[in-house]
Amino acid sequence: MQREEKQLDMALDAIIMRVNDLKQSISNMIVKLELEHETLNWPTFLDNFALMSGQLTALTKVLTQDKCPALRNLVVLPIQLSQERDPELLRITEQRVPQFSHDLAPDYLRTKLEPDVEQRMLQLEIKAGNMTYEMAQKQVSAFNKVMNHVWDVVSKAREEWESESGSRSGPQQTTSISDTHLLVSAISAGKNLKMPVPQGQAGPPGMMGPGGRPGVGPPGGPMMNPGQQMGPMGKVPSGIKTNIKAASQIHPYNR
Amino acid sequence: MMAQPLSSAIDTAFKSNIVPDQEYLLQGSVLDKVVEVLLHRLRGLCDNVDSGPEPFQDHEMCFTIRTTPTPLNLRVRRALDHQEMPWQLRYIGQPEYGDKMRPTIIRSSIDIGCSATVVEFLTELGCRMEFEYIARGYMFRKGRMKITVSKVFKMNQNKSQESMEPLSESYLVELSVLAPRGQDAIAEDMRSFAEQLRPLVNLDKVDFKRLVHGPP
Repeated sequence: MQREEKQLDMALDAIIMRVNDLKQSISNMIVKLELEHETLNWPTFLDNFALMSGQLTALTKVLTQDKCPALRNLVVLPIQLSQERDPELLRITEQRVPQFSHDLAPDYLRTKLEPDVEQRMLQLEIKAGNMTYEMAQKQVSAFNKVMNHVWDVVSKAREEWESESGSRSGPQQTTSISDTHLLVSAISAGKNLKMPVPQGQAGPPGMMGPGGRPGVGPPGGPMMNPGQQMGPMGKVPSGIKTNIKAASQIHPYNR
Repeated sequence: MMAQPLSSAIDTAFKSNIVPDQEYLLQGSVLDKVVEVLLHRLRGLCDNVDSGPEPFQDHEMCFTIRTTPTPLNLRVRRALDHQEMPWQLRYIGQPEYGDKMRPTIIRSSIDIGCSATVVEFLTELGCRMEFEYIARGYMFRKGRMKITVSKVFKMNQNKSQESMEPLSESYLVELSVLAPRGQDAIAEDMRSFAEQLRPLVNLDKVDFKRLVHGPP
């Protein structure tokens, strides 16, 4: 007899522990919903559910264990109801139950659903029971059809998404360092922008100054032409030389 | 109150570092085929969401004048798509690249509006046009930051706009802020903004001087 009581105590302790775990995670979830509902994201929310589901499974395991005595064979009997506030009860129930009165006790010791819930369950059961086999079969197949359709849509979307992300993860080049260098040196230093001068023609637009004044041409002309032709054909630095000569041509004009 | 001579007012303004004459700059490029993706991303990131990106088409001419020790560069820019707008004369100083810790290039930059006769004026001064190009693209704003995505075209001989030859198969991307001297905090903002465009575009301090002398 004593051995059985001990076993019962142990089982109850285990159950209380699991239930407390479950209670804790439910209250965590409620706090999260109340305080962080703006920033809460779906994955963390689902994580919470997963945790609870795990705890429920653990609890069920404890209840179905061999060691656990058949709880349904035991009876909880309220010995005394009281209208007085009970500070001890308040403490162990975390301020939830102030007194063990006839008003509250039935709710806490309830083993059946509330009458109106029970009635609605009964109605649903009757409705389900009245359905003919063909009707049920029809509804099941309709339901399956809808589910298959949804499944198709989801798996198609997933396929597309996977192939898209698969192709995207490839080393797709979006920027080229050599192009960056080309463009920056072009706009900063004029690389590739300085115009080649066609042979035997007047200077590039840069020669605007002297070229625009034919009167000045003769003294500077013969000197300039070799420079002009040399400049653009050679490297960039030689182009700068041309530049200096061209600028110096202006001084004779100013005399 | 005594009227202050204009020149000393300008001096005071420069001394108290309120003239936005420093340009903080990051540069990069994006290939033509993904420029739409970049524009889309910038549209989401930048301030002018409602109005959309601002298109522009500018003609820029770079003039030099022989000064010692380094030649002075002056740039003239005009909007081809808004002919009625004033032209712009711009001085850009030598870029400072700094060490690895410095997030952006810093260079002096002074802009001034001017009329179309500026080319003649510069030519008379002895400046010579070194090169010219056309930049066509879009401008975005994000706070004080300016982002341009533009295609650089060579000017061709007859200057007709239909047969412009693009310089490369990429768009030039520039992120810049004009600020008074010493406002280095903005450079950090630029770095974090540039980070949001990676890996689409790598905006960086591009040192073209090293490149000019490198292999062509």
